Amino acid sequence: MAPEPGFAGATLRTWSRGPAPGLFLSDLRGRDFRLEDYRGTVVLVHFWATWCEPCREEMPSLEKLKRRFTGRPLLVVAVNVDEPEARIRKFLAQFPLSFPILLDPGRQATKAWNVRLMPTTFVIGADGRIRYAASGGLDWSAPEVVERIADLFGKG
Amino acid sequence: MDRRTFIKAGVALPAAGAFTGLPGMALAESAGSTSWRVFEVTTRVDVANPTGVTRVWLPAPLSADTAYQKALGNDWSAESGSVRLLRDQKYAAGIVAAEFPKSAGKPALTLVSRFATRDRAVDLSRRGSGAAEDPAVLRLSLEPTELIPTDGIVRETAQGIVKDQKTDVGKARAIYEWIVENTFRDPKVRGCGWGDIKAMLESRNLGGKCGDLNALFVGLARSAGIPARDVYGVRVAASRLGYRSLGANSEVISKEQHCRAEFYAEGYGWVPVDPADVRKVVLEEPPGHLALTSQKVEAARKRLFGSWEMNWLAFNYAHDVQLPGAQGPKIPYFMYPNGETAQGRLDPLDPVAFKYSMTTRELKSV
Repeated sequence: MAPEPGFAGATLRTWSRGPAPGLFLSDLRGRDFRLEDYRGTVVLVHFWATWCEPCREEMPSLEKLKRRFTGRPLLVVAVNVDEPEARIRKFLAQFPLSFPILLDPGRQATKAWNVRLMPTTFVIGADGRIRYAASGGLDWSAPEVVERIADLFGKG
Repeated sequence: MDRRTFIKAGVALPAAGAFTGLPGMALAESAGSTSWRVFEVTTRVDVANPTGVTRVWLPAPLSADTAYQKALGNDWSAESGSVRLLRDQKYAAGIVAAEFPKSAGKPALTLVSRFATRDRAVDLSRRGSGAAEDPAVLRLSLEPTELIPTDGIVRETAQGIVKDQKTDVGKARAIYEWIVENTFRDPKVRGCGWGDIKAMLESRNLGGKCGDLNALFVGLARSAGIPARDVYGVRVAASRLGYRSLGANSEVISKEQHCRAEFYAEGYGWVPVDPADVRKVVLEEPPGHLALTSQKVEAARKRLFGSWEMNWLAFNYAHDVQLPGAQGPKIPYFMYPNGETAQGRLDPLDPVAFKYSMTTRELKSV
């Protein structure tokens, strides 16, 4: 169950490769996050790193998507891949993000989700199933992307 | 202040505060031997905002002497803390491990390492002169690691590269040339790997630093059945061979970490290579962005298969290192100072915030 290899342009691909792996990580404040607790919510699980330039370029459009659906059951979580907390905090001091930052030291979640490059984002429907995936930077505020996300509300 | 001096077995310690020569240095047999140079590297760590127990780990020079590097001793001091020199069990990596209690207001550690190096070259035109290696070391040098798998696309790629080669040296050369030809830095690449060579090959993102490109050499070589290993270290002096990009050009070497690679061939022993440095010459040797066909790049490309200029200190060959006493996970390699407080790991790539400084000075040549 893996996104297609390569990054032939960033597109939101329909997922047909199996269920979402579990995701149980702590965030920067030490609070636990468990994906299964968010049934009924559309969740974007976004894998990133501070040194990944395409990740930095994509972050503003994720923020725009989140604002676009204010009041709707949408959650964005950003899974940082194996970086020291000091580096993440320094990055966030310069580029604040409004969504939870989950920590994956040792890359256990990264491996479980078979993430091969960053950024990679999985869109989880309200029923807990992966609906879409994107590898490489994507413009999350593009109309076709917004429409696909909007279609997921109320499904499952 | 707690001051300790660690004496390397078999080498007499110079008088305290003085370093007058190279006692007991035997000449090595490998082709291309030059005179020994003696260096001292000082690493100073000051943890700015300690919370709870603070731990710091620093790499020590190679624990076993080689034909190109000999350890002359480590000297350390830790204010309000305790320090030990430990060895990683699998790779015998030397780890200077310091621990400071919660009450230590300003944890500080200083490590001074003295060592001698001399340029290294293997005569690949004459088989039979290389030293044999312990079979256990060779087996270790064929194993996959977390970031260096040897199956799947790595193996397929290696097999494609070496298919027409009959000897191990020929295979290693083919892999080396493939890396020089095919890897690059491209700022327009849309996705990033993290030094996982399988991800690099799958994503076709073959850009990276030494930790990526030389790891790619090691992975492809291992997949082709050739024992190979990364050698993690730091540049300690300018290049005497006219390459500004391949040396430390000031006494401050906090950001001069560099890893190299070597492979083993029967009859030749360990053969040094550095395809990542060929790409560094391409990108950074003034005036920058040189063509592969330029004279400087071609000369580096020829030299860096089979030899190393030893303006560089080798630390270890270790992968997937569990730092002793650490609360956090393993690290893929141990080439930088590492630290941890109750708030988590410090950033080894940010010497200013960590904070740490590394300086070098040459003591004597013979």
